[in-house]
Amino acid sequence: MQTPPAIKESHPAEIATLLRGESEAISTWSGQWSTQRFVLHLAVLVLGAGAYGAAMGWWRDPQQALYVAIKFPLIILLTTLGNALINGMLAPLLGLNIPFRQSFSAIVMSFTIAAAILGAFSPLMAFLVWNAPPMSSQAFSMPAYNVIKLTHVAMITFAGIMGNARLWQLLGHLGGSRAVAFRVLFAWLAGNLFLGSQLSWILRPFIGSPDLPVEFLRATALHGNFYENVLSTSQQILNAFWND
Amino acid sequence: MNENTPVPPRIPPQLPPAAGLSEPRPLGDDPAERAVIPHAFAAIEALLRQPRRLLFQLRQPGAGNLIAGMLLTALLCSLIYGVVAGTFSGGTQLWAAPVKIAAGLMISAAICLPSLYIFTCLSGSQARLIEVGGLLAGLLMLMTILLIGFAPVAWIFSQSTESLAWMGTLHLTFWLVATLFGVRFMKAGFSHANAKSQAGLNVWVVIFLLVALQMTTALRPVLGQSDTFFPVEKKFFLGHWAECLKAQPGVAKAD
Repeated sequence: MQTPPAIKESHPAEIATLLRGESEAISTWSGQWSTQRFVLHLAVLVLGAGAYGAAMGWWRDPQQALYVAIKFPLIILLTTLGNALINGMLAPLLGLNIPFRQSFSAIVMSFTIAAAILGAFSPLMAFLVWNAPPMSSQAFSMPAYNVIKLTHVAMITFAGIMGNARLWQLLGHLGGSRAVAFRVLFAWLAGNLFLGSQLSWILRPFIGSPDLPVEFLRATALHGNFYENVLSTSQQILNAFWND
Repeated sequence: MNENTPVPPRIPPQLPPAAGLSEPRPLGDDPAERAVIPHAFAAIEALLRQPRRLLFQLRQPGAGNLIAGMLLTALLCSLIYGVVAGTFSGGTQLWAAPVKIAAGLMISAAICLPSLYIFTCLSGSQARLIEVGGLLAGLLMLMTILLIGFAPVAWIFSQSTESLAWMGTLHLTFWLVATLFGVRFMKAGFSHANAKSQAGLNVWVVIFLLVALQMTTALRPVLGQSDTFFPVEKKFFLGHWAECLKAQPGVAKAD
Protein backbone atom coordinates (compact mmCIF):
# COMPACT_ATOMS: atom_id res chain seq x y z
CA MET A 1 0.00 0.00 0.00
CA GLN A 2 1.45 3.35 -1.01
CA THR A 3 1.77 6.27 1.35
CA PRO A 4 -0.50 9.13 0.30
CA PRO A 5 1.43 12.15 -1.02
CA ALA A 6 1.91 15.10 1.31
CA ILE A 7 -0.95 17.57 1.26
CA LYS A 8 0.20 20.69 -0.55
CA GLU A 9 -2.52 23.01 0.63
CA SER A 10 -2.66 23.78 4.29
CA HIS A 11 -5.63 22.63 6.37
CA PRO A 12 -6.44 23.08 10.08
CA ALA A 13 -6.36 19.27 10.43
CA GLU A 14 -2.61 19.51 9.89
CA ILE A 15 -2.26 20.64 13.49
CA ALA A 16 -3.11 17.08 14.53
CA THR A 17 -0.27 15.85 12.29
CA LEU A 18 2.05 18.32 14.03
CA LEU A 19 0.94 17.14 17.46
CA ARG A 20 1.40 13.49 16.48
CA GLY A 21 4.92 14.33 15.33
CA GLU A 22 4.67 12.67 11.92
CA SER A 23 8.25 13.44 10.95
CA GLU A 24 7.85 12.56 7.26
CA ALA A 25 5.04 15.05 6.67
CA ILE A 26 6.46 17.70 9.00
CA SER A 27 9.90 17.63 7.35
CA THR A 28 8.21 18.05 3.95
CA TRP A 29 6.32 21.08 5.26
CA SER A 30 9.45 22.61 6.76
CA GLY A 31 11.27 22.18 3.44
CA GLN A 32 8.51 23.60 1.21
CA TRP A 33 7.53 27.08 2.26
CA SER A 34 3.80 27.75 2.14
CA THR A 35 2.50 31.13 3.25
CA GLN A 36 -0.92 29.63 3.92
CA ARG A 37 0.56 27.02 6.24
CA PHE A 38 2.70 29.62 7.96
CA VAL A 39 -0.37 31.78 8.58
CA LEU A 40 -2.19 28.75 9.97
CA HIS A 41 0.65 27.99 12.37
CA LEU A 42 0.85 31.63 13.36
CA ALA A 43 -2.91 31.71 13.99
CA VAL A 44 -2.72 28.62 16.22
CA LEU A 45 0.22 30.13 18.03
CA VAL A 46 -1.52 33.45 18.66
CA LEU A 47 -4.88 31.91 19.58
CA GLY A 48 -3.46 29.08 21.74
CA ALA A 49 -0.95 31.17 23.66
CA GLY A 50 -3.40 34.08 23.80
CA ALA A 51 -6.17 31.94 25.30
CA TYR A 52 -3.79 30.57 27.90
CA GLY A 53 -2.52 34.07 28.65
CA ALA A 54 -6.10 35.27 29.16
CA ALA A 55 -6.72 32.47 31.65
CA MET A 56 -3.51 33.40 33.44
CA GLY A 57 -4.37 37.09 33.82
CA TRP A 58 -8.03 36.59 34.59
CA TRP A 59 -7.47 35.92 38.30
CA ARG A 60 -6.27 39.52 38.78
CA ASP A 61 -8.73 41.32 36.49
CA PRO A 62 -10.45 40.91 33.08
CA GLN A 63 -8.30 43.77 31.79
CA GLN A 64 -5.18 41.92 32.95
CA ALA A 65 -6.52 38.88 31.05
CA LEU A 66 -6.65 40.95 27.86
CA TYR A 67 -3.14 42.26 28.37
CA VAL A 68 -1.64 38.83 29.01
CA ALA A 69 -3.57 37.41 26.03
CA ILE A 70 -1.61 39.88 23.91
CA LYS A 71 1.72 39.57 25.73
CA PHE A 72 2.00 35.78 25.89
CA PRO A 73 2.00 35.20 22.09
CA LEU A 74 4.13 38.33 21.70
CA ILE A 75 6.91 36.79 23.80
CA ILE A 76 6.92 33.67 21.63
CA LEU A 77 6.93 35.64 18.39
CA LEU A 78 9.64 38.07 19.54
CA THR A 79 11.80 35.20 20.80
CA THR A 80 11.46 33.40 17.47
CA LEU A 81 12.26 36.54 15.48
CA GLY A 82 15.04 37.74 17.77
CA ASN A 83 16.90 34.44 17.57
CA ALA A 84 16.03 33.62 13.95
CA LEU A 85 19.38 34.78 12.57
CA ILE A 86 21.61 33.10 15.12
CA ASN A 87 19.54 29.88 15.09
CA GLY A 88 19.74 29.78 11.29
CA MET A 89 23.53 30.20 11.47
CA LEU A 90 24.09 27.68 14.25
CA ALA A 91 22.25 24.82 12.53
CA PRO A 92 24.76 24.35 9.64
CA LEU A 93 27.70 25.07 11.94
CA LEU A 94 26.55 22.25 14.24
CA GLY A 95 26.13 19.79 11.39
CA LEU A 96 22.55 20.29 10.21
CA ASN A 97 22.78 21.84 6.76
CA ILE A 98 19.28 23.26 6.35
CA PRO A 99 18.33 26.59 4.80
CA PHE A 100 17.55 29.55 7.04
CA ARG A 101 13.85 29.42 6.16
CA GLN A 102 13.64 25.75 7.13
CA SER A 103 15.19 26.33 10.55
CA PHE A 104 12.81 29.25 11.13
CA SER A 105 9.86 27.13 10.02
CA ALA A 106 10.91 24.24 12.30
CA ILE A 107 11.09 26.53 15.33
CA VAL A 108 7.72 28.12 14.54
CA MET A 109 6.21 24.62 14.27
CA SER A 110 7.59 23.60 17.67
CA PHE A 111 6.12 26.75 19.23
CA THR A 112 2.85 26.05 17.41
CA ILE A 113 2.69 22.63 19.07
CA ALA A 114 3.37 24.18 22.49
CA ALA A 115 0.76 26.90 21.89
CA ALA A 116 -1.84 24.37 20.74
CA ILE A 117 -1.29 22.39 23.94
CA LEU A 118 -1.51 25.55 26.05
CA GLY A 119 -4.64 26.60 24.19
CA ALA A 120 -6.20 23.23 24.99
CA PHE A 121 -5.29 23.69 28.65
CA SER A 122 -6.67 27.22 28.85
CA PRO A 123 -10.29 26.17 29.71
CA LEU A 124 -8.88 24.00 32.52
CA MET A 125 -6.85 26.92 33.80
CA ALA A 126 -9.82 29.27 33.52
CA PHE A 127 -11.93 26.78 35.52
CA LEU A 128 -9.25 26.60 38.19
CA VAL A 129 -9.09 30.41 38.42
CA TRP A 130 -12.91 30.64 38.53
CA ASN A 131 -12.90 28.31 41.53
CA ALA A 132 -10.15 30.21 43.32
CA PRO A 133 -10.94 32.93 45.88
CA PRO A 134 -10.55 36.49 44.52
CA MET A 135 -6.96 37.71 44.33
CA SER A 136 -6.02 39.65 47.45
CA SER A 137 -2.96 40.11 49.61
CA GLN A 138 -4.27 37.30 51.84
CA ALA A 139 -4.79 35.00 48.87
CA PHE A 140 -1.04 34.93 48.30
CA SER A 141 -0.60 33.11 51.61
CA MET A 142 -3.45 30.68 50.83
CA PRO A 143 -3.07 27.26 49.13
CA ALA A 144 -5.02 28.55 46.10
CA TYR A 145 -2.14 30.79 45.03
CA ASN A 146 0.38 27.97 45.24
CA VAL A 147 -1.95 25.60 43.39
CA ILE A 148 -2.45 28.12 40.57
CA LYS A 149 1.25 28.90 40.36
CA LEU A 150 2.29 25.24 40.30
CA THR A 151 -0.40 24.40 37.75
CA HIS A 152 0.98 27.11 35.46
CA VAL A 153 4.49 25.73 35.87
CA ALA A 154 3.32 22.17 35.16
CA MET A 155 1.25 23.11 32.09
CA ILE A 156 3.87 25.38 30.53
CA THR A 157 6.61 22.82 31.22
CA PHE A 158 4.58 20.04 29.63
CA ALA A 159 3.79 22.14 26.56
CA GLY A 160 7.44 23.18 26.24
CA ILE A 161 8.71 19.62 26.56
CA MET A 162 6.26 18.33 23.95
CA GLY A 163 7.11 21.12 21.50
CA ASN A 164 10.82 20.43 21.87
CA ALA A 165 10.40 16.64 21.73
CA ARG A 166 8.67 17.03 18.37
CA LEU A 167 11.35 19.47 17.24
CA TRP A 168 14.03 16.94 18.20
CA GLN A 169 12.29 14.24 16.15
CA LEU A 170 12.12 16.60 13.19
CA LEU A 171 15.78 17.59 13.50
CA GLY A 172 16.78 13.93 13.74
CA HIS A 173 14.79 13.23 10.59
CA LEU A 174 16.34 16.16 8.73
CA GLY A 175 19.90 15.55 9.91
CA GLY A 176 19.88 11.77 10.00
CA SER A 177 21.72 11.70 13.32
CA ARG A 178 20.52 11.91 16.91
CA ALA A 179 23.79 13.53 17.99
CA VAL A 180 23.44 16.37 15.46
CA ALA A 181 19.77 16.80 16.35
CA PHE A 182 20.66 17.01 20.03
CA ARG A 183 23.42 19.57 19.44
CA VAL A 184 21.18 21.81 17.34
CA LEU A 185 18.22 21.48 19.70
CA PHE A 186 20.41 22.27 22.70
CA ALA A 187 21.84 25.40 21.04
CA TRP A 188 18.40 26.62 19.93
CA LEU A 189 16.86 25.87 23.30
CA ALA A 190 19.63 27.70 25.17
CA GLY A 191 19.22 30.77 22.96
CA ASN A 192 15.43 30.76 23.13
CA LEU A 193 15.39 30.32 26.91
CA PHE A 194 17.95 33.09 27.33
CA LEU A 195 16.04 35.63 25.24
CA GLY A 196 12.57 34.38 26.22
CA SER A 197 13.32 34.86 29.93
CA GLN A 198 14.39 38.46 29.36
CA LEU A 199 11.35 39.23 27.18
CA SER A 200 9.10 37.77 29.89
CA TRP A 201 10.84 40.05 32.37
CA ILE A 202 10.29 43.13 30.19
CA LEU A 203 6.65 42.27 29.49
CA ARG A 204 5.73 41.53 33.11
CA PRO A 205 3.24 41.35 34.92
CA PHE A 206 1.41 38.14 33.97
CA ILE A 207 -0.43 36.83 37.01
CA GLY A 208 -0.37 40.33 38.51
CA SER A 209 -0.38 41.56 42.07
CA PRO A 210 -3.39 42.79 44.14
CA ASP A 211 -1.31 45.67 45.54
CA LEU A 212 -0.17 46.96 42.15
CA PRO A 213 -2.29 48.50 39.37
CA VAL A 214 -3.35 46.57 36.27
CA GLU A 215 -0.89 47.66 33.59
CA PHE A 216 0.31 46.43 30.22
CA LEU A 217 3.93 47.09 31.23
CA ARG A 218 5.37 48.09 34.59
CA ALA A 219 7.03 51.50 34.80
CA THR A 220 10.29 49.63 35.53
CA ALA A 221 9.92 47.34 32.51
CA LEU A 222 13.24 48.38 31.04
CA HIS A 223 15.11 48.66 34.33
CA GLY A 224 17.33 45.72 35.16
CA ASN A 225 17.05 42.28 33.66
CA PHE A 226 15.84 38.81 34.54
CA TYR A 227 19.28 37.42 35.34
CA GLU A 228 20.31 40.34 37.53
CA ASN A 229 17.10 39.80 39.46
CA VAL A 230 17.81 36.07 39.87
CA LEU A 231 21.30 36.88 41.12
CA SER A 232 20.08 39.57 43.49
CA THR A 233 17.34 37.26 44.88
CA SER A 234 19.89 34.47 45.37
CA GLN A 235 22.16 36.89 47.21
CA GLN A 236 19.30 37.98 49.48
CA ILE A 237 18.44 34.35 50.27
CA LEU A 238 22.08 33.55 51.03
CA ASN A 239 22.45 36.67 53.19
CA ALA A 240 19.30 35.78 55.15
CA PHE A 241 20.60 32.24 55.59
CA TRP A 242 23.98 33.40 56.87
CA ASN A 243 22.44 36.02 59.17
CA ASP A 244 20.20 33.36 60.72
CA MET B 1 40.32 -24.85 -15.36
CA ASN B 2 43.04 -27.54 -15.27
CA GLU B 3 45.71 -28.23 -12.71
CA ASN B 4 48.31 -26.17 -14.63
CA THR B 5 46.32 -22.98 -14.49
CA PRO B 6 48.13 -20.64 -12.10
CA VAL B 7 46.06 -19.82 -9.05
CA PRO B 8 46.13 -16.12 -8.22
CA PRO B 9 47.47 -15.39 -4.74
CA ARG B 10 44.80 -14.70 -2.15
CA ILE B 11 44.65 -11.00 -1.41
CA PRO B 12 42.87 -10.03 1.78
CA PRO B 13 40.04 -7.57 1.21
CA GLN B 14 40.98 -3.93 1.61
CA LEU B 15 39.61 -2.56 4.85
CA PRO B 16 38.74 1.12 5.17
CA PRO B 17 41.16 2.97 7.45
CA ALA B 18 39.99 3.35 11.03
CA ALA B 19 38.13 6.52 11.76
CA GLY B 20 40.26 9.12 13.47
CA LEU B 21 43.51 7.75 12.05
CA SER B 22 42.66 8.56 8.43
CA GLU B 23 43.89 11.66 6.61
CA PRO B 24 41.21 14.28 5.99
CA ARG B 25 39.44 14.02 2.65
CA PRO B 26 41.40 16.14 0.14
CA LEU B 27 39.86 19.52 -0.60
CA GLY B 28 38.23 19.85 -4.00
CA ASP B 29 37.42 16.14 -4.47
CA ASP B 30 33.77 17.14 -4.67
CA PRO B 31 33.05 19.25 -7.82
CA ALA B 32 30.80 21.53 -5.72
CA GLU B 33 33.87 22.57 -3.71
CA ARG B 34 35.58 23.79 -6.88
CA ALA B 35 32.80 26.27 -7.69
CA VAL B 36 34.18 29.81 -7.64
CA ILE B 37 32.99 32.11 -4.86
CA PRO B 38 31.96 35.23 -6.78
CA HIS B 39 31.05 37.67 -4.00
CA ALA B 40 30.89 38.25 -0.25
CA PHE B 41 27.37 36.81 0.18
CA ALA B 42 28.50 33.59 -1.47
CA ALA B 43 31.50 33.58 0.87
CA ILE B 44 29.19 33.89 3.91
CA GLU B 45 26.98 31.11 2.56
CA ALA B 46 30.01 28.91 1.92
CA LEU B 47 31.49 29.62 5.34
CA LEU B 48 28.28 28.48 7.05
CA ARG B 49 27.24 25.60 4.78
CA GLN B 50 30.23 24.54 2.68
CA PRO B 51 33.38 25.45 4.64
CA ARG B 52 35.41 22.99 2.50
CA ARG B 53 34.53 25.03 -0.59
CA LEU B 54 35.90 28.17 1.03
CA LEU B 55 39.00 26.32 2.24
CA PHE B 56 39.60 25.03 -1.30
CA GLN B 57 39.18 28.49 -2.83
CA LEU B 58 41.58 30.03 -0.29
CA ARG B 59 44.32 27.75 -1.67
CA GLN B 60 43.78 28.74 -5.28
CA PRO B 61 45.86 31.38 -7.12
CA GLY B 62 44.21 34.78 -6.89
CA ALA B 63 42.70 34.11 -3.46
CA GLY B 64 43.71 37.65 -2.49
CA ASN B 65 40.46 39.13 -3.76
CA LEU B 66 38.45 36.58 -1.80
CA ILE B 67 40.43 37.32 1.36
CA ALA B 68 39.98 41.08 0.86
CA GLY B 69 36.22 40.55 0.44
CA MET B 70 36.13 38.44 3.62
CA LEU B 71 38.01 41.08 5.58
CA LEU B 72 35.71 43.79 4.28
CA THR B 73 32.67 41.73 5.31
CA ALA B 74 34.17 41.21 8.76
CA LEU B 75 34.81 44.94 9.05
CA LEU B 76 31.24 45.79 8.03
CA CYS B 77 29.70 43.21 10.37
CA SER B 78 31.83 44.39 13.30
CA LEU B 79 30.75 47.98 12.63
CA ILE B 80 27.08 46.93 12.67
CA TYR B 81 27.55 44.98 15.89
CA GLY B 82 29.39 47.99 17.30
CA VAL B 83 26.37 50.22 16.68
CA VAL B 84 24.23 47.73 18.63
CA ALA B 85 26.78 47.74 21.46
CA GLY B 86 26.81 51.55 21.35
CA THR B 87 23.04 51.77 21.92
CA PHE B 88 23.69 50.83 25.56
CA SER B 89 25.13 54.30 26.29
CA GLY B 90 23.92 56.18 23.20
CA GLY B 91 25.34 59.62 22.34
CA THR B 92 28.92 59.56 21.09
CA GLN B 93 29.16 55.84 21.76
CA LEU B 94 26.90 55.23 18.75
CA TRP B 95 29.89 55.97 16.53
CA ALA B 96 32.75 55.42 18.98
CA ALA B 97 31.77 51.83 19.88
CA PRO B 98 31.62 50.58 16.25
CA VAL B 99 34.93 52.27 15.43
CA LYS B 100 36.60 50.78 18.50
CA ILE B 101 35.18 47.28 18.04
CA ALA B 102 36.05 47.12 14.34
CA ALA B 103 39.48 48.66 14.83
CA GLY B 104 40.20 46.48 17.88
CA LEU B 105 39.33 43.32 15.99
CA MET B 106 41.40 44.20 12.94
CA ILE B 107 44.39 45.35 15.00
CA SER B 108 44.24 42.17 17.12
CA ALA B 109 44.24 40.08 13.95
CA ALA B 110 47.13 42.07 12.45
CA ILE B 111 49.16 41.75 15.65
CA CYS B 112 48.54 38.01 15.84
CA LEU B 113 49.05 37.11 12.16
CA PRO B 114 52.87 36.85 12.30
CA SER B 115 52.79 34.56 15.35
CA LEU B 116 50.10 32.44 13.70
CA TYR B 117 52.32 31.97 10.67
CA ILE B 118 55.32 31.06 12.86
CA PHE B 119 53.29 28.56 14.87
CA THR B 120 51.92 26.90 11.72
CA CYS B 121 55.45 26.59 10.31
CA LEU B 122 56.71 25.15 13.61
CA SER B 123 53.94 22.56 13.53
CA GLY B 124 55.21 21.36 10.15
CA SER B 125 52.40 22.85 8.09
CA GLN B 126 52.95 23.62 4.41
CA ALA B 127 50.51 26.56 4.43
CA ARG B 128 51.73 29.75 2.73
CA LEU B 129 51.36 33.14 4.39
CA ILE B 130 48.41 34.05 2.15
CA GLU B 131 46.63 30.82 3.14
CA VAL B 132 47.24 31.54 6.82
CA GLY B 133 45.93 35.07 6.25
CA GLY B 134 42.90 33.61 4.49
CA LEU B 135 42.14 31.30 7.41
CA LEU B 136 42.45 34.21 9.82
CA ALA B 137 40.10 36.23 7.60
CA GLY B 138 37.69 33.25 7.73
CA LEU B 139 37.89 33.27 11.53
CA LEU B 140 37.13 37.01 11.61
CA MET B 141 34.28 36.73 9.12
CA LEU B 142 32.60 33.80 10.86
CA MET B 143 33.04 35.48 14.24
CA THR B 144 31.47 38.75 13.10
CA ILE B 145 28.55 37.24 11.19
CA LEU B 146 27.72 35.21 14.29
CA LEU B 147 27.88 38.44 16.29
CA ILE B 148 25.34 39.90 13.85
CA GLY B 149 23.15 36.89 14.66
CA PHE B 150 23.47 37.69 18.37
CA ALA B 151 22.85 41.40 17.79
CA PRO B 152 19.02 41.39 18.31
CA VAL B 153 19.48 39.67 21.69
CA ALA B 154 22.26 42.09 22.66
CA TRP B 155 20.07 45.04 21.67
CA ILE B 156 17.13 43.87 23.80
CA PHE B 157 19.39 43.52 26.83
CA SER B 158 21.14 46.85 26.20
CA GLN B 159 17.73 48.57 26.31
CA SER B 160 16.67 46.94 29.55
CA THR B 161 19.63 47.11 31.87
CA GLU B 162 21.88 49.81 33.27
CA SER B 163 24.53 47.42 34.51
CA LEU B 164 27.78 47.90 32.63
CA ALA B 165 29.18 44.70 34.17
CA TRP B 166 26.20 42.70 32.96
CA MET B 167 26.37 44.05 29.41
CA GLY B 168 30.13 43.55 29.31
CA THR B 169 29.70 39.92 30.38
CA LEU B 170 26.98 39.38 27.79
CA HIS B 171 29.04 40.83 24.93
CA LEU B 172 32.09 38.83 26.01
CA THR B 173 30.05 35.62 26.11
CA PHE B 174 28.71 36.24 22.60
CA TRP B 175 32.20 37.11 21.39
CA LEU B 176 33.65 33.96 22.97
CA VAL B 177 31.01 31.68 21.40
CA ALA B 178 31.58 33.33 18.01
CA THR B 179 35.36 33.03 18.39
CA LEU B 180 35.13 29.32 19.22
CA PHE B 181 33.26 28.66 15.97
CA GLY B 182 35.82 30.78 14.11
CA VAL B 183 38.70 28.83 15.64
CA ARG B 184 37.00 25.60 14.67
CA PHE B 185 36.92 26.76 11.06
CA MET B 186 40.58 27.73 11.21
CA LYS B 187 41.58 24.39 12.69
CA ALA B 188 39.65 22.61 9.94
CA GLY B 189 41.72 24.61 7.45
CA PHE B 190 45.02 23.70 9.10
CA SER B 191 44.09 20.02 9.17
CA HIS B 192 44.53 20.13 5.37
CA ALA B 193 47.96 21.75 5.55
CA ASN B 194 49.92 18.70 6.77
CA ALA B 195 50.45 20.06 10.27
CA LYS B 196 51.99 17.37 12.52
CA SER B 197 50.51 18.82 15.70
CA GLN B 198 47.82 21.28 16.73
CA ALA B 199 49.62 22.28 19.94
CA GLY B 200 51.10 25.42 18.38
CA LEU B 201 47.72 26.45 17.05
CA ASN B 202 46.16 25.97 20.49
CA VAL B 203 48.81 28.21 22.03
CA TRP B 204 48.10 30.82 19.36
CA VAL B 205 44.35 30.70 20.12
CA VAL B 206 45.12 31.56 23.76
CA ILE B 207 47.37 34.42 22.62
CA PHE B 208 44.68 35.73 20.27
CA LEU B 209 42.05 35.62 23.02
CA LEU B 210 44.32 37.49 25.44
CA VAL B 211 45.19 40.14 22.84
CA ALA B 212 41.53 40.70 21.96
CA LEU B 213 40.54 40.89 25.64
CA GLN B 214 43.29 43.40 26.37
CA MET B 215 42.15 45.39 23.33
CA THR B 216 38.75 45.91 25.01
CA THR B 217 40.59 47.60 27.90
CA ALA B 218 43.15 49.44 25.76
CA LEU B 219 40.35 51.02 23.71
CA ARG B 220 37.94 51.55 26.62
CA PRO B 221 35.27 52.60 27.08
CA VAL B 222 33.61 50.40 24.45
CA LEU B 223 30.27 50.30 26.29
CA GLY B 224 30.31 53.01 28.94
CA GLN B 225 30.80 56.75 28.53
CA SER B 226 33.94 58.83 28.82
CA ASP B 227 35.13 62.39 28.19
CA THR B 228 38.03 61.20 26.07
CA PHE B 229 38.04 58.84 23.09
CA PHE B 230 41.06 56.92 24.41
CA PRO B 231 41.70 56.07 28.08
CA VAL B 232 44.09 58.27 30.01
CA GLU B 233 45.29 55.46 32.30
CA LYS B 234 46.92 52.16 31.31
CA LYS B 235 45.39 49.01 32.82
CA PHE B 236 45.27 45.26 32.32
CA PHE B 237 41.88 43.86 31.43
CA LEU B 238 41.48 41.82 34.63
CA GLY B 239 42.02 44.91 36.78
CA HIS B 240 39.62 46.93 34.67
CA TRP B 241 36.91 44.26 34.89
CA ALA B 242 37.30 43.99 38.65
CA GLU B 243 36.68 47.76 38.89
CA CYS B 244 33.59 47.49 36.66
CA LEU B 245 32.16 44.66 38.78
CA LYS B 246 32.51 46.75 41.95
CA ALA B 247 30.39 49.56 40.43
CA GLN B 248 27.09 47.59 40.18
CA PRO B 249 23.82 49.60 40.26
CA GLY B 250 20.64 48.39 42.04
CA VAL B 251 18.21 45.86 40.55
CA ALA B 252 14.49 46.32 39.81
CA LYS B 253 12.01 44.11 41.66
CA ALA B 254 9.76 41.54 40.01
CA ASP B 255 6.07 41.03 40.75
